[in-house]
Formats: sequence, C-alpha cells, structure tokens
Amino acid sequence: MTSNASASLTISVTELTKKYGRVFALNAVSIDVRAGEFLTLLGPSGSGKTTLLMAIAGFNRPDSGRICFADEDITVLPPHKRGVGMVFQNYALFPHMSVFENVAFPLKLRKISAEEKHHRVMEALKTVQLSGYAERGIDQLSGGQRQRVALARAFVFGPKILLMDEPLSALDKKLREEMQIELKQLHRQLGVTTVYVTHDQREALTMSDRIAVINEGELAQIGTPREIYNRPANQFVASFIGESSFIPLHRNDSGQLVHESVAVLPVPNEETGKEWSLVIRPERLLLEKPKAKRTNGKIFFDGVITELVYQGETAIVMIELGNGKIVTSRANTRAGDDVDSLELGQKVSVSIDKNDAIVIPGGTK
Amino acid sequence: MASPEINKIEHLNADKLLAAERHENLTIFALSLPALIAVLVVIVIPVGWLFSLSFLDSSGQLSLVNYQKMIEYKSYARVFKTTFNVSILTTLLCILIGYPLAYFLSQIPRRYVGFFMLTVLLPFWTSLLVRTYAWLVMLQRNGLINNFAIDLGLWDTPLKLAHNLNGTLIGMVHIMLPFLILPLYAAMRRIDPHALQAAANLGATPVQAFWQIFVPLSLPGVVAGSLIVFVLCLGFYVTPAVLGGGRVILVSMQITAILEDQFNWGAASALGVVLLVLTFAALFLASRFLKLDEVMFGKR
Amino acid sequence: MNFNLSTKRSQKTLLGAVSAAALSVLAIGQAHADPITVVSWGGSYGKAQDAALFTDASKNSGIEINRESGASMSKVVLQVESNAVTWDLVVSGSGSCAAAAAKGALEKIDFNVVDVSNFLPNTYTDYCVGSDVFATVFAWNTDKYGVPGTAGAPNSWADFWDVEKFPGTRSYRLNNVDGALEPAVMAMGVAPEDVYDFLSTEDGIKKAIDKIRELKPHIAVYWKSGAMQAQLMKDQEVDMITGWNGRFDNAKKDGAVVGYTFNQALRDYDGFGIPKGAPNKDTAMKFLGEVSKAKYQANLPFHITYGPTNREAYEVTTAPKELLEALPSHPNNVSKMLAVSLDWYAKNREKAQEMYMELLSE
Repeated sequence: MTSNASASLTISVTELTKKYGRVFALNAVSIDVRAGEFLTLLGPSGSGKTTLLMAIAGFNRPDSGRICFADEDITVLPPHKRGVGMVFQNYALFPHMSVFENVAFPLKLRKISAEEKHHRVMEALKTVQLSGYAERGIDQLSGGQRQRVALARAFVFGPKILLMDEPLSALDKKLREEMQIELKQLHRQLGVTTVYVTHDQREALTMSDRIAVINEGELAQIGTPREIYNRPANQFVASFIGESSFIPLHRNDSGQLVHESVAVLPVPNEETGKEWSLVIRPERLLLEKPKAKRTNGKIFFDGVITELVYQGETAIVMIELGNGKIVTSRANTRAGDDVDSLELGQKVSVSIDKNDAIVIPGGTK
Repeated sequence: MASPEINKIEHLNADKLLAAERHENLTIFALSLPALIAVLVVIVIPVGWLFSLSFLDSSGQLSLVNYQKMIEYKSYARVFKTTFNVSILTTLLCILIGYPLAYFLSQIPRRYVGFFMLTVLLPFWTSLLVRTYAWLVMLQRNGLINNFAIDLGLWDTPLKLAHNLNGTLIGMVHIMLPFLILPLYAAMRRIDPHALQAAANLGATPVQAFWQIFVPLSLPGVVAGSLIVFVLCLGFYVTPAVLGGGRVILVSMQITAILEDQFNWGAASALGVVLLVLTFAALFLASRFLKLDEVMFGKR
Repeated sequence: MNFNLSTKRSQKTLLGAVSAAALSVLAIGQAHADPITVVSWGGSYGKAQDAALFTDASKNSGIEINRESGASMSKVVLQVESNAVTWDLVVSGSGSCAAAAAKGALEKIDFNVVDVSNFLPNTYTDYCVGSDVFATVFAWNTDKYGVPGTAGAPNSWADFWDVEKFPGTRSYRLNNVDGALEPAVMAMGVAPEDVYDFLSTEDGIKKAIDKIRELKPHIAVYWKSGAMQAQLMKDQEVDMITGWNGRFDNAKKDGAVVGYTFNQALRDYDGFGIPKGAPNKDTAMKFLGEVSKAKYQANLPFHITYGPTNREAYEVTTAPKELLEALPSHPNNVSKMLAVSLDWYAKNREKAQEMYMELLSE
C-alpha cells in the first residue's frame, strides 16, 4: 500500500450538538483532527464518543454544528458519499459473502475492473496477514481474523479517513494487545487520518497520537497521551485515565497549597479557587525506608498499611493517612524494595517527587 | 505410573459417578417420555393407520386398487397438479405482498411494531370460515366489490372474482400471509443493522445496500416462511372449497369427496399417503437446493 | 346350567342378569330412556323437519331428543367402523343410505315398530325409512328467463343446456354424480323412461359426461349442498342451477327471484337410518316409528315443498290444494318425472363417479 500524508484529510468538528430527548449526547463539541493523525475518542460508555464517530460517518444526524473534511462541509452528506472507511464494533461483515467478496465489496461498487479489484483485495488481505483466506466464508474465521477482514474492507478502497468503533472490544486480552500494535503499524503504513473510539484508557494511551477525552457529551481534554496522563485537566480525566489517589489541598493567602498545615506546592496558575486536589499516581508514590531523610523536593505522608495486594511485577500498597484518606502506592517487587516484609497495620512513610505531583483545581469528592 | 496409589485414585468413586451419570440420563429420558408418547399417539399411529388403510380395498382385502385407480383415472394426477400449482402461486403472491410488509415492520421503531403486527395478526385470530365467507360476500358476482365498482363506473359487467382461481388465490393469500410475515419479520429483525451501515459506509446507495445486503440476508426468512405457506397450502381445504366454486379442485377436496360421497376410506387414505409423500419430496428437493438446516434451526 | 355346583360367582351373575332384566322392563315401562341424538341437515330442510316432525313427535312420545346438524352417512360409517357411535337417528339421501347399508353401517329396520304399510312404493328399504319425497329439478332466475309455465320460460333439460336461447351462467353438482348424468341424457333428447337404459353401458355414461363437458364453460359454480343452492340463487350468483325443489321454494319465500319446473325432474326420497350399534337404538327405532306416522308427515308441506312418504298423510293433511299440487309426490307431477333408480346406482355409481370426477378436474 502506498500512502502519504497528502492522501489523508483533516476533520474539523465545530460545535456539534445532538440531543436524545432532554439528554445531550453531544453538547457543542469542537475537535480538529489533523491530517494523518491517529486520534482516539476516549470516554466511559454513554459519554457521546460513539455518537460523535457516527456523526462523522454520517449515520446519525446532529441537531446542529458542522463537520468538514478538509475544507468541504459534509454535515448533510449521506454516508455512502463520504468515502470514509469504517470498522464496526461487531465487524459488520456480510455473512453471505466470502472473505474476498467482503473486501471486494467497496471496489465492486466503485466499478473497478476485475483485474485491479483482484489485485487490490489480495494486497489488502496480505496487509492484514490473511493471504490464503480469500475464499473462506465468514463463519469459518476466528474473531481476530474477522477483525482483520473488517479492517481490510475498510481501507481497501483507499479512503482518506478511517473510523474505528471499539474494534478490539470483542477480542480476548492477549489478541487485543497484539492487534493494538498491528493497528498502529498499519496506521503508520497507510498514513490515513484515523479516528478511533474506545473506553479502554490503556488502549488509548498505547495507540494514539492524541486522545480526546469525552465525558457527558462534552470534550473534557484533548492532548497527547503524555499530556493527558501527566497533566489531566480535571478530576474526571485524572481518575478515568490511569489510577489516582486524591488529596485535598487548601490555598493559603500567600498563594501556597497547604496539606495539613504544611505548605507543599505553589499554586500553578492564576486560578483563585480555594479548594484544590493533589493527584497521586500510584507508581509515583514511593515507600520510604524508615528514618529516610526528608528532602525538600518531595512531599511526605505518614500512614498505616490497610491493604496489600501482590501482583507479580508490582504490589499494591494501600495506606490510610492520618486524616482518613487512603492513598495507593504501586511498589516494585525487587528484592531491594523489601515489599515482602510489609505487613498490614504497619506504620509507613510515603513520598512523591514534587515534579510528579499533579495539582488540579476543585475539591476532592 | 504403575504405583498402586495412582490406581486407587483413578478408581476412587468411579462406580458411583457412573451410576450418577446413568441416573441423570434416565431422568432426562423419563422427562421426555410424555412428549415421545404424544408424538407416537398423534403422529406415528395415525400416519401408520392411514398408510395401512390405503392398501385395503372396499371389502377390507389387501390390495393396490386404490393406487391403481390413481393411475387409471386422470382426475387424480390433475388434482395433484392443480394443488401444487395453486400452492406455488399462493406462495409467490405471499412473498410478493408479504416481503414489503415484513420489511416495513422491520424498519419502524420497535414500539410501533406491536400495533402494526396486530393488524397483521388480527385476521389470524378470527375464524377461518368467517374470513373465507367474508371474501365470498366481497368477491361474488353481486358482491360488494363488483357492485361498488359498477356503481362507480369502473367496469360494466361483473368481474369473475370468486368461484374460480382468482377467488381461491385471494382467499388463500390472505389467510397464509401471516405465516410468511412472521418468520420473515423475525429474520429481518435478526439482520445486523451495522451490516447495512457498513454497506453505506463502503459506498452503497440505499438501493444497492437493500438488494446486495438486506435481501440476501433476509432469504432464510423468505425460505422458512415460504415453506410453511407452501406446505400448509398443499393440505388446505376450507378456503379453496368455498372460494374456488368447485372449479379449482385440490387434493383435500378430492379426499373429502371420496369420504363423504363414497365412504371409501382406502381411496381417501391412498390420496393422503401420496400427498404426504409428495410433500416430503418437495421438502427434500428444497433441502437439496437451500440450506434448510440453516433456515429451520438457525445454524450458521 | 349346573345348579349343583353353584358358586358365589354364578349366583352373582344370575342376580345381575335378573336385576338388569328388571331394570330394562322398568325403563320400557316408563318410556323415559336417555335422550336420543337426531341428526339432520342445516338450512331450511332441518328447520322444516323440526317444525313438522321432531318437536311434536318428541312431545307426544315422551322421547327426548338432542338435535344436531351436519348429517352425513360417511360420518356414520366412520363412527361405526371406529366403534364410537354417538348418533341414534340420521337423515340421509336414498343413495347414501343404501351405500351405508351396503357397508353394514346401519341397523335393520324393525317393521313391527315402524309401520310402513301405507308408504308409497320404493320409499323404504330394509335399512332406510323414507321421510319425504323430493325432486332434483333445475331452477332459474325468473327475472332473467321468465316465470315457470309462461311462454318462453325454460321447460326442459334441453333448455338448461341451451346457452344461446338462455344465455347466462349455470351451476351444477360438485364431487357427486348423484342426479348429475340423467339431466344430460334427457338434454340429448332421450325420453325419461329410457334414461337408465341409455346409461346402462359405459358408452352411455361417456356420452352423458361429454354432454356435461359441453356445458362446462358456462358452469360458473359447482354446488355442494342444498343450502348452497339456495344461497347461489338468493345472491344471483348464477342464472340457472340444478337442485332440490324444496330449497328453491324456501329461497323464494326468503325473497329470491327463483322458479323451477317438475318437467323431467328426478324423483327421489330422503330417509332415516339408525347407525349400527347406536347407543339408544331401541328408543331411536321407536322415535322413527313415531315420526313416520301420517299425522306428522301431514305437516311437512307447510314448511318445505317435499311430499310425505306415508300415503295416509295426504288424507289427513289440512294443507290447501295448491300446496299439495306443488309437491313432487303429487300424481300430476309424478307423471312428468323420472324416478331415480337405486339399482342403476348400485351397479354403476363407482365407475360413473370416477368419470364425473375426471370431468370436473379437467
């Protein structure tokens, strides 16, 4: 497959709104997808991410707003004229057709010559590693193979935009992780603008150039996986992507954020709110050796171990702080880390590097 | 391997487990026994009786006379031919009318289906005889339709709508339609709506998507419904008897005639046996060309 | 019997027999047995029998009856053959009655109980007792072809066949050859008294069938029952039809524009039979004896234009002269008619039936 960035289109969604009854499925959502980009729409079920994808594909009609491919306004264009490839959650293969016929379907509609059609279908099947499966019936394929057929069918006609609606959700964990890598490689190979919907934050982090987090019909945050993980814009993003413990902070008069009367961090920006939260990622909360020196670059907490879960490469340690808040630490299980010697009820100290500390406005619920 | 301990473990409780399995099988058999007996009583015995009766002549002697008569007189072959022709025509008309109806039902939101389904099923719940005579009242020479049309000046002389093939087909199609629509509707509802979306997404116009995706996927429902209608038509009596005016004679009517006017159980049974055999032959042929087990048992 | 070896068991048997005999004597004495099931046909025929025969006969004899419709000798044969007889007294055409008797499905009539000494000739057999004389006639829409007896109105089977003189639709009998061939033979110009002679050969039957085939394009409907004959004429579905005279008179009373002629009509009779092993066959026999009495049959003409089979009925009836003259059994009418030959049917029916079915299926 020969493709380059010029074969892909930008998508710009402007103030898209869709209501089901009195509920906003989409509330004035605006997103710009760059040409050739792999953008993931991430959110819990019912957040509106699939509604947005279906609106881009043309399968549901928004109440208001605009969708453009490059400069062309396609808001009211029927789906069969949009020329986007799409992979459905349940694959939506045609059960009465063979693998070959499925993949050839879009080419047949485009009246491509038999020879060319054959060539392109075989190329596409090779790309998804299904050469030799062309004459199989759909019912003779495994879930992963069906996934690949759906994929081949979606890109065989050279669409400039590819949409995927939770394509891996029906696969088991191991296969899903393999396919994530394959999809990413395929995307790199095709260079086609891709919008990918998932509710699996790890999948989103693995695959995306950028992630758009959607919640309750609104865009909660958009950014690279690193930005989203390291700088979540609010408590929803922080808790939905990765694991987090939240510790309430107060702003004092001198612009410092205070935890239990100890000033820990400066206020990061101009916001004037009094209530703030410290977001702690478990892997960044370290167990301190007893009597370790308390350096300035870290924030320390003291508490009691309430739960210990051994998970192989890491162990989960839950610690109840003096104010009753529970924080979670993910500790390595190397011999030197002494995790094995920990016991329930044991008093421990934990610390977080101030550079790893995330502060978001608003109190902790 | 040969250690006695392992041996012991292999045989631990083996007898009890085997007994438990036997008991379970026996329970399953015992539970299905009433159904097996019912099948024996309502199907096997009557069909066997029918079969044996057909080989008895009118004095009760073993003979092939009932079958010989079917070869000797052309009326029997003709009646079978008419029966199959009428059944095929009825089935085709049912598909022609039922398919769009089922399609409509499968496309409207589910909450409205109930109402429209009721309109399809309502005739189902009224007496067959009432519906048939209602058609007679509408279709006959001085019936509602002819009188109304002549009053309106649509045509001058009454159309021959009843007491012939027209009336027979109208009545039979009306009565058979639900048998086609119900399985067809179910099959259409089972079609993955995403498959149609996928077709559109791949560039198919709504018409292309309908013909290339929806219709092929609905075929199992068409086949299932058609077979039900066809087989029911083969043995149908009341409606053709009333609306055919004696000009369309089906096997069932021939059987009635032989029973009522000649008390000839052997001849009637022979007709029944031949109809049964031909019905199975038709189903067998259908299964050769269509994947019937997929249709009937939902195998994929 | 060996009384010396009288065991308990034989004592019991004896006792049982004696008490059963005592009980049956008691039952006869009371004449109050179980109600009997009397089965006739629907439509005006059954109503006429209720009004003229059954209601009064039941009252006078004290025999209670359950009236059912849908009489059919084939069902009688089925009941008898499957040992599940529920009917006690069943109405039938003479031909079906004879056929059922030939199958051994009917009880022999006890002429000590049923008095047929005054019956018209050939209106009873050992198994069937005639209840009324009727005629198979052809009837027509009088608006279309004129009132019977007037100039230009149809008057013979030749007219029934003449679709040029009397253009329009016809109706003929379905599935049953009874009374179907004789009209065709007469339409060919054969005199009534020679009809069965003509039909005595297969060639004759074939010619009759060919004659019906000639009319086939004009036969719009085939009728299956007397009720259907009346309905077809009431609805003006057909213009000319074969059928049973009483049905047309009653259709006329209901407003149908219908008339018929007895000229060349087929005279036949309906009768009663008692299914073999009927649950109350003795009571049924008694009831049959009662309804066969002249005093009941004398009322029949008031309700349907079928003639009594009991000659005495013509003497005791209060029916006016016009009514009696309209009966198929009236001497004036009898002379114009052909009597149906049960002999011919016994010999030729099976063959003729197959040939007729073959014609219908064409």
